[in-house]
Amino acid sequence: MDAAAETSLRIGGMHCAACADTVEAALRRVPGVVEARVSASAQVASVRRDAAAAPVSRLVEAVRAAGYDASPDTAAQARAARAREARLALWRLFVAGLCAVQAMMLVEPTYLAAPGDIAPEYLRLLEWGAWILTLPVLAFSAAPFFAGAWRSLRQGRIGMDVPVTLGVAVAFLASTAAAADPAGPLRGTAAFDSITMFVAFLLGGRYLEMKARHRAEAELEGMTSRLPLDVVRVGAGGVDETIPVDAIAPGDLLRVPRGEAFAADGTIVEGRTEADESLLTGESVPRPRRPGDAVVAGSLNLGAPVLMRAERVGADTRYEAIAALMRAARTAKPALLRTADRWAAPFLWAVLALAALGALGWWFVDPARVPWVVVSVLIVTCPCALSLAAPSALLAAASRMAREGLLLRDIDALARLVRVDEVFLDKTGTLTTGRPRCTGTIVLAGTLAADALAGRASSLAAWSTHPLSRALQAARDGDGSVWREVREVPGRGIEAIDVEGRCWRLGAAAWAATVSTGAVRPADVVLSRDGAPLARFAFDEAVREDAPAAVQALQAEGVRVHLLSGDDPDRADAVGARLRLDSARGGLSPEDKLQALRAAQDAGRIVAMVGDGINDAPVLARADVSIAMGEGAQVARAQADGVLLSNRLADLVRARALARRTLRVIRQNLAWAAAYNAACVPLALLGVLPPWAAGLGMATSSLVVVLNSLRLTHRAPWTASIS
Amino acid sequence: MDSLYLLIPFSVLLVLALIGVFGWALGSGQFDDLEREGGRILSEPGLSFDTDQRARQAVPEE
Repeated sequence: MDAAAETSLRIGGMHCAACADTVEAALRRVPGVVEARVSASAQVASVRRDAAAAPVSRLVEAVRAAGYDASPDTAAQARAARAREARLALWRLFVAGLCAVQAMMLVEPTYLAAPGDIAPEYLRLLEWGAWILTLPVLAFSAAPFFAGAWRSLRQGRIGMDVPVTLGVAVAFLASTAAAADPAGPLRGTAAFDSITMFVAFLLGGRYLEMKARHRAEAELEGMTSRLPLDVVRVGAGGVDETIPVDAIAPGDLLRVPRGEAFAADGTIVEGRTEADESLLTGESVPRPRRPGDAVVAGSLNLGAPVLMRAERVGADTRYEAIAALMRAARTAKPALLRTADRWAAPFLWAVLALAALGALGWWFVDPARVPWVVVSVLIVTCPCALSLAAPSALLAAASRMAREGLLLRDIDALARLVRVDEVFLDKTGTLTTGRPRCTGTIVLAGTLAADALAGRASSLAAWSTHPLSRALQAARDGDGSVWREVREVPGRGIEAIDVEGRCWRLGAAAWAATVSTGAVRPADVVLSRDGAPLARFAFDEAVREDAPAAVQALQAEGVRVHLLSGDDPDRADAVGARLRLDSARGGLSPEDKLQALRAAQDAGRIVAMVGDGINDAPVLARADVSIAMGEGAQVARAQADGVLLSNRLADLVRARALARRTLRVIRQNLAWAAAYNAACVPLALLGVLPPWAAGLGMATSSLVVVLNSLRLTHRAPWTASIS
Repeated sequence: MDSLYLLIPFSVLLVLALIGVFGWALGSGQFDDLEREGGRILSEPGLSFDTDQRARQAVPEE
């Protein structure tokens, strides 16, 4: 499938996790669709499809046929859809609330007066008044429940709306029968106030949930729609022209006014400013940026107008990579959530069975109370609390982490992160700043001068984004050599053929220098021609400021911290000794690293690997939890569970603390939901619980779960969780 | 007590009318952004307030 395209659709009308399955199934049935994933919490479907065979219009049609609404996922439409949804929800809630209050007023005299105080004809007048007020509640306010129940029944599934709908319908029919036949078996049991109040409580709970979801979505959109629409380009001849943002080409000179976002990754050419990169890195302090400094797309220019040269644009920017990661993370369904989905259906069947059992039992005791026992059982059981327990906490934790600079691609990694007892760290770019400095060029052989060799090395290094390559580029401009057949060998170096057909290699001496000279050690960085080393480059690098504290904090938690580096063993040892690591090994190939990781896993350890994401790809893939550092343009290619956008190792320790709290919150939620249902169902079966109390209980129970999860986003400042 | 035959239907009709009024207010967007309304007095252009808290037309800034 050549024209495979990934498309996001916003889905409207989903209320529970089971709806997501329905939409997924509908999308997968469209010819040309390769894969469809739906996130119930974000209400977004992400579809991989053959662009020619399955146009977006066909996807939208399929979703609409299944009974939901779909629209392409662009921020403006999503905002409009949210506003519509919020208005409708508020109106439904208002109608239910107002009618509930008025129905209560009409029913109240029957609670206060002694039997016989009110003449029967006035009683009937009051009952029919309440009946009329119940109609708009059922026809309009409760419509989403009926529609949801109908959808799931039509698909042959059972959803959370089914018991609710049954409860409301049974209560309304029984009350109507009681009002219509004052001498019948159900006499005096009309409860229009309970029905309306129950619907109002339930809608109130859903309204608050919807508000919380809208806020989270708007936050994500703020992140993913940051770029300006138009930019000012300095065109040929120095004339300014305004162009749309997608017309920028690498190499363009752009004017960035104060207060606007940089539209591309690049470097400052002119002017001094400060850049707010908080959305991309979690770093809240604006960073000074001077000519020659790098700026990233999506960060804000706070200081002064500057002139920048665009280097990476559009989908190549780090910003787009991060936005794509966030979209992927939003639609991936965590395993904990899948478990909740599996439990929802049996739970709902059990509720229906219990209601039937209660009806049968009460039939022999007091047939007039049968409808009310059934209604109470159907309404009081709260599958919402069970099914929200894990996803609401995970979503809250993930959005908190994203805000602090750790972006989780795989939410399940959260649970594994807690169990980690062995951490492997890469050195360059992970423990150290990854910005080594080239301190000198030592000529080993040949006739070329040191400066010429540095220029040649710089032009070859321009083909690689390895930190050492960047240091070489920073030390001297390339000499403009033309290269062909450029090939990068991970962990070794880069090789290319020059115009004369000679093979140049830049990288570890063990690989680049096949002709031994004895003057270089295997891990030195050398430039070689046809295997003969010509020059050696000297580097130094600084350990990250927060690394010692982070390592200590991890060790205090009983985690063993190891260094696995492809770099020179001496330098690895030096860093290991300075940071008091449990072990430090240098001179390792990716295969060696994988070997070390396997050995630890075979010994029963849970291993986390932190690396730069590209050179360590196989090792990251094998680790139980893999974290890639966010520096560099290739975060999107990093197949890691999470990306540390802040580049602060200390955030890993804090993330572990947050993950522990998340698991605790999930356990609390599940315990609450289980205890609530276990306590309330027997009460309802015994006929002690009136329907209105059941409705209040159900709405409160899911609110308790959502609020408990929201503690993760707000309480306990991030910095306080590490000493 | 016969007045109840008038009052109860009347109260029901009143509720339905109230729902209609609220629906109009909602449809005109009055409840779309409740947080922002409080701050609008600070950002509304063309209005300023003297020390007596009386609104008047702003003097264009030079």
